[in-house]
Amino acid sequence: MRHQVIIAGLGDTESALEDSRSIPEMVLAAVQTALADAGIDYGAIDSVVTASVDLFDGITASNIAVTEVVGAVMKPETRISADGLAAIAHGACQIWSGAYETVLVVAHAKTSMARYQELTQWAMDPIHVQPLGVDFLTCAGLQARLLAHGDAGADRRWAQIAADRRGRASRPLAPASSVEEILASKPVALPLRQGMCAPMGDGACAIVLRGAATGAQGPVLRGIGYDLEPHALGDRDLTHWHGLERALQRACKTAELQRAYAHFDFAEPSCLFAHEEELFTAAVKLREDTEISADGGLLAACVPVVAGMSRLATATRQLRGAEDGGRRALVHGTWGPVAQGQVVAILEGTPL
Amino acid sequence: MMREESIRIPFRFAAGRAGSRMLAALRDDKQILGSHCPVCVRTLAPARPFCPECGGENLKTVELGSGAVLVSWTDMPGRGLFALVRPDGADTAMIHKLLGQSGDFHIGARLRAVFAAERRGHIADLQGFEPDPGSAA
Ligand SMILES: [Zn+2]
Repeated sequence: MRHQVIIAGLGDTESALEDSRSIPEMVLAAVQTALADAGIDYGAIDSVVTASVDLFDGITASNIAVTEVVGAVMKPETRISADGLAAIAHGACQIWSGAYETVLVVAHAKTSMARYQELTQWAMDPIHVQPLGVDFLTCAGLQARLLAHGDAGADRRWAQIAADRRGRASRPLAPASSVEEILASKPVALPLRQGMCAPMGDGACAIVLRGAATGAQGPVLRGIGYDLEPHALGDRDLTHWHGLERALQRACKTAELQRAYAHFDFAEPSCLFAHEEELFTAAVKLREDTEISADGGLLAACVPVVAGMSRLATATRQLRGAEDGGRRALVHGTWGPVAQGQVVAILEGTPL
Repeated sequence: MMREESIRIPFRFAAGRAGSRMLAALRDDKQILGSHCPVCVRTLAPARPFCPECGGENLKTVELGSGAVLVSWTDMPGRGLFALVRPDGADTAMIHKLLGQSGDFHIGARLRAVFAAERRGHIADLQGFEPDPGSAA
């Protein structure tokens, strides 16, 4: 039988437009909080999975700068250059397989270091696309135009989504604003305006995963699945998140849930642009009583790479706080141009 | 304290076989090339070394038209207009630039390719796409 994976500890830095600490200092703070939350010390960690992107850090093999603070000296460490939730997937597999009992998963990014959007140009095809100056924001604008085609109310709905999400956040990285203000905000990749985009900042997140045999308490990571779309935008159907549908199907399979009947009490999508929330809801077909983005989600505050892991942290807090405890959450992460990579985790609270 | 730095390292990206054919055709013949996959019965733009759908390498290089259809576009103030355009003869769209004002364009509009006078075997040898005045669509 597969070993059960428990979300045993959480730690994150408060995301900020600029965190004056160095990356190792930010990571250390997140790790110390997560270990304290799990009630363990560095000695209990069997293995570490880190998530970071070299280009964002301005250092190659960016995980080697955090080896000590994640407690990976003389331990196995794996680095994932994708969303932090994909790192969670790898950590979970290590426990499911029985290889390790306690895995520390850590993600970080610091967008204040450089011009984030400009860096994303270097994730595009270097022969046909990058030389044109296309970045992730360009790609999002192309997708948004396609979605808004023949849908006169689209931009107002997107502004409403962004206003709602930012309005419910306790510390958004962009000021809360009205629908009208968002519709009048700076055009960045029309039809997208500044107010419809996730504000980017600095942060780190650490999560302790433990096998049930350790006696750890907390929500159970029931299933995980991910998927990749082709890289070239023209090869994809940009009007749907098919990759998310497939990732969720796989996550349900690993969780031994029937996709058609799986109900989620909480959903924590990774939406970098307001229109992505509509792609998310269309792909996962949630019931109306599912609570989406309890803390405002990424449209309120986004740290790349940390993004999907921060959603897992929020979902874990929701499940820990749920009165009957026995609830289910769908957690989502993306990476690449217009969410080329999609990852889904299914979490369940322990019934009291 | 912050240490300021600007990382600038020269790189050489190999265009590969299909990419090189594509860039040479832009330079020498003002011609956009695509690849036809006989398995998927689909013509891809631009030319590819393999089919992204089936992985097959047995693709036939085809000459695409200089006319195109606008699939989507975005206006990035200060940076210009970017588009997904489907060249005539292709089933998929490619990313490039639009030449003109945002108001000149709508999804489904007919476009025509504009080539640079001086060409060097680079994707920018194709300057972009402009509205096709010969078309009422
Ligand atoms: Zn094929």
